[in-house]
Amino acid sequence: MRLIVVKRKVLPRYVAWAVSAVSLVLGIAVYLAIMALLKTSPLDVLVNIARSFVNPSIVKDLLILIVMGCALLVSFKAALWNIGGEGQFYIAMIPGVLFTLYVFNPETNPAPAPIVVFLSIVVGALLGGLWGLLAALFRAYLKIDEVPVTLILNYIAYYFINYLVFGPFKGRYVYGYLRTDEIPVMYRLNLRIALPPTTNPIVATAYGFIYQLTYYIALLILAVLVYVATWALMKYTRLGLYIRIHGSNPSYLKAIGVDPERVIPLVLALSGGIVGLAGSIYLLVEFHRIPYGLEWQTTGYGYLAILVAWLSMLDLKFIPLSAYIVSVLRNAGIALQIAGLGGNEQALLLVGSILLTYSMTRFLVEYEVKVEW
Amino acid sequence: MVSPEALLRLIGAFATMYLVALGHSLFEKSGILNLAIDGVFFLATGVTTALVVPLYYSLVGYGLSPVVPAILTGLIAGLATAVVGAFMAWSLTKLPISHGAVGLSLMFLGYGLGIIAGYEVRLRIGSIRPYAIPDSLEVYLTILIATVVVGFAVYYLLNNTVLGTSMRACGENPHVALALGADVAKIRVIAGLLGFYILGIGASFFVLIWQKYWDIKAYLLAYGWLAFTIALSAGRHPLVLLPFAALFGGLVEFSITLQAMFGLQADLAKMIPFIAALALMVIYGSTRLRRIFEPPTSLGRIFYKEERTI
Amino acid sequence: MDNTSLKELETQRSSIAENVVLLARGISKSFPGGVVALDNVTLDMRAGEVLALLGENGSGKSTFVKILYGVYTADAGEIYLRVGDRLEKVNIGSPADAMKLGIMMVSQVPQLVGKLTIAENLALTLKSLKLHGVKSLTSISKISKIIAEESERVGIKVDPNERVYNLTYTQKQLVEILKAMIIGARVLLLDEALTYLPHLERKRLYQALMKLKEEGRSIVVITHKIPEAMEVSDRIAVLRAGRLVGVVNTRETNIDQVRAMMFGQERAKQISYSRIQIESKPGEPVIVVKDLYVEDDYGREAVKGVNLSVRAGEVVGVAGIAGNGQRELVEAIVGLREIKGGDVVLAGVSVKKGGIKLVRDIGIGIIPDRLIEFGVSIENSILDNIAACITRNGLVVKWDLVRKFATSFINEYQIVTPSPEAPIKYLSGGNILKCIVSRELEVARKAIVAHNPTRVLDEASAIYVRRKIKEKAAKEGVAVLLVSEDLDEVLMTSDTIFVMSSGKLYGPFSPDTPREEIEKYMVM
Repeated sequence: MRLIVVKRKVLPRYVAWAVSAVSLVLGIAVYLAIMALLKTSPLDVLVNIARSFVNPSIVKDLLILIVMGCALLVSFKAALWNIGGEGQFYIAMIPGVLFTLYVFNPETNPAPAPIVVFLSIVVGALLGGLWGLLAALFRAYLKIDEVPVTLILNYIAYYFINYLVFGPFKGRYVYGYLRTDEIPVMYRLNLRIALPPTTNPIVATAYGFIYQLTYYIALLILAVLVYVATWALMKYTRLGLYIRIHGSNPSYLKAIGVDPERVIPLVLALSGGIVGLAGSIYLLVEFHRIPYGLEWQTTGYGYLAILVAWLSMLDLKFIPLSAYIVSVLRNAGIALQIAGLGGNEQALLLVGSILLTYSMTRFLVEYEVKVEW
Repeated sequence: MVSPEALLRLIGAFATMYLVALGHSLFEKSGILNLAIDGVFFLATGVTTALVVPLYYSLVGYGLSPVVPAILTGLIAGLATAVVGAFMAWSLTKLPISHGAVGLSLMFLGYGLGIIAGYEVRLRIGSIRPYAIPDSLEVYLTILIATVVVGFAVYYLLNNTVLGTSMRACGENPHVALALGADVAKIRVIAGLLGFYILGIGASFFVLIWQKYWDIKAYLLAYGWLAFTIALSAGRHPLVLLPFAALFGGLVEFSITLQAMFGLQADLAKMIPFIAALALMVIYGSTRLRRIFEPPTSLGRIFYKEERTI
Repeated sequence: MDNTSLKELETQRSSIAENVVLLARGISKSFPGGVVALDNVTLDMRAGEVLALLGENGSGKSTFVKILYGVYTADAGEIYLRVGDRLEKVNIGSPADAMKLGIMMVSQVPQLVGKLTIAENLALTLKSLKLHGVKSLTSISKISKIIAEESERVGIKVDPNERVYNLTYTQKQLVEILKAMIIGARVLLLDEALTYLPHLERKRLYQALMKLKEEGRSIVVITHKIPEAMEVSDRIAVLRAGRLVGVVNTRETNIDQVRAMMFGQERAKQISYSRIQIESKPGEPVIVVKDLYVEDDYGREAVKGVNLSVRAGEVVGVAGIAGNGQRELVEAIVGLREIKGGDVVLAGVSVKKGGIKLVRDIGIGIIPDRLIEFGVSIENSILDNIAACITRNGLVVKWDLVRKFATSFINEYQIVTPSPEAPIKYLSGGNILKCIVSRELEVARKAIVAHNPTRVLDEASAIYVRRKIKEKAAKEGVAVLLVSEDLDEVLMTSDTIFVMSSGKLYGPFSPDTPREEIEKYMVM
């Protein structure tokens, strides 16, 4: 029996996202198999996943992942694998802590909240962009693969922030865990609305979503802005065109007189900057402080975003859906709480399983497998 | 100057880093990009932890020296990683799929599966130390020599045998290798089995010979990426890897010592090997080193038999 | 199974010659984008015979041969090999399978790994076919000895420890033939392997081939040049648009008949190999190359002190066998490769430091030899490819303008594509080249540098492109540097001819110079 892989002669329209859907299902199946190894019933997992679809607590993940999905889409489309989302996300929080707790501490040197918030966000985004740019320089000028560089930069970011939290940014110990102090309330970006109580579960769920969306309104606004901006970038601008071409053939870019060495830093800085936006705002709406030991307490958005970008098949219109699915899976994983494995380890297994099945089946979009007996 | 314990740890560090980088290099020489290295490294450490305890109890009970279960564990743990290597080699040769994506996904899975492999045992026993190799200079020197011998053997294989030459040919240009009659898939699978087997043994050394420690959070050490950098900068050359591995093994050990000596904050000390890795990449990328230590031409390229007629 | 299949075959064809070694029956193959490469082709190859498989580019001959060699898989059809006195059906899934059956292919591009030595390369073949007891752990030094012995026995002298990147093109092809003889190939497929060699070099290789023919082997020469087919073959099989038009005995046919089979009666009349007669008045020099030195990928000198001048409205052709520095010359002139010594001045501006951006800004059109690498971005659409070339300033892409160009190119050059939005990879090789040529001719204001611009095009399209280039030169005063491994193309299109050999330039020659004169320089 032989398996022959042949290029498809005809490309039916549905193929692309049929493959994505199948890989998603297969990936979850792999995950279930692994959970079974941990003596967790697949049914439990599936129930958790089903529940998460309508669980309002996915909203913040959804919004963050839309933003970071767009950020990674921009760089992945240029075939620049920005695996440094983790580092870029957290490094962007440093200005937030610095400005709200130290430079413009409300007790010693208050300043108008909008200015402080604005500074935190902008400088945060710049730092994120810088972190992306750093990796880009390795790739553009030294021709070193950006994957190990961005990964190493993640770790350097973790350790550097740990050092700051242990040192100049040291706050109080809470339940024996060290962290920075909390961001003063006046600099936080949460909007609370009061919703009437209800006993109807459907209405309650809807209210739950509405509440979350307004609580995280800063993220909502960011998600919309970033999504639209990314769309405009890719469709109408010269940079968007160069991103697409670099993703297929950087040599062609060179042959028409555009220096890939100029494009690469721009793209990774942009990508890192968008991640930085997400991180700096996340600090102000949810995190509200930085814990010590970032590497084992991370929410893992940087890695989840990779999955979001891939599952969407690098097609912007599927990013929201892809982000939704990944948020659901993440929350299901957290809800499971198995055997001392935290939410992060669940995320790792999920990302790994689905990414594996996806990367192994994606070729079926353009190729078919013939079996010869 | 160097205390005997420090010397033993240095040997442990070197042997670990070298074997991991060596196995990885052998694999990549056949043309497949290995981004799974850190996950596979951690998986092997988890499997090692799980295996060594039962082996210890059964074998030492027969009056055998504790060295035996430790070495045996390494040899068996290597099989687990060898399977991963074979899988990667086969799928990335037979199917037109992305090396990077598959590698990264296996990295994540490796982290998760490594945790699953080792956590139960770890909870029960607390410390690995009793099950690790005893602190005997004799034993360590033997291990050191054995490691270097393996390095030379791999060097001979790659450069002087038909099999090794086939691997290199597949790494340079698998289409031409195919036209010359080579079974590219089979050759790469052998490279995967052998390379990842060595990698797995090296990773087991981390637990049983070097750090004598394991924890589920150990997946955050990223030593696999340090080995990746070593392999990259040394051109994946089995002999050039020797000084590079010694350098980085020493650096990691040294940073821990520095931390103790100068009261350097723990996180800053942890950053040192990574900054050194980046510095090494800069040196590699900007000097003639890159010409001399080139990666295989087709490393990471999707291999699809039916090419365009253009 | 064998006896019935033989009977089956006999009822289908009038007779099967006794000395048939390989029979391909009903072979069909399509490629993505609706490209039908082969349509029910049946052909037999006989022992002790040279069969020419003739067809223009895109006719499917290369696809056919690649199926025989296991590189491609046919969509339909079977292959039979003579075993003893029967024809047995065989499955050829890879080149290793083919070689085990005694079928070997030599392509236009030698299939050898440059960085390895000859012995290291051939070690793979020896191991695959289990020859001379070679196994996985056999040492390379032993392989070297084996190769040295075989090379003596067969009469093709090589140094087994020489690195392949040090060999010339002809030497590499000789290594390929050595390989065929070592493995005792029964069927030797030469896929345009000798087509671009000058006559003298070709004759040398023919001697080796004649020996093989006398030994009873079957040789198939695949080519798109009628003279080559008529020169050496016993039979000629003609493919047109994926179909087998017919098989004739070489002695019983003539050029016109073969021509008509190759192109069809009507088109054959349109195709002429005579010089394109378009007069132009050359102006000032636009491309000036002064004492140029360029290195190749391995750091060795590939261009050794070349001087060249192309005037506005002039077509300068540079002929030569592949691998004599043409690629490095072209890439240096357009700024894709570093200039180690000397200078290149385009429209009065030195581009030594400027690189390709400067070259593009000056308004130079480039048709590169490595099309997939430098000519297009195949995952992107025609629109994207054109847009990148045309939109060089501003934040926003002018899509209207791009669409206008795309539509006009598609119509004028008859580019076959599902739509301008379709990724270019779904187009056939010829259509991709048309996209590139149309685009580059449009953006070229001062000069065009073309390297093998019509290599994969069918004859009519090739002639069309050469005409357009000549017209562009004559009517718009564009300077054209045409570097081509196809001497016919150079003779047909150029006003002035040079020959590049071993990194040096010889000439100038007028296009009326006898062909043999020019070919002499190609092998210096």
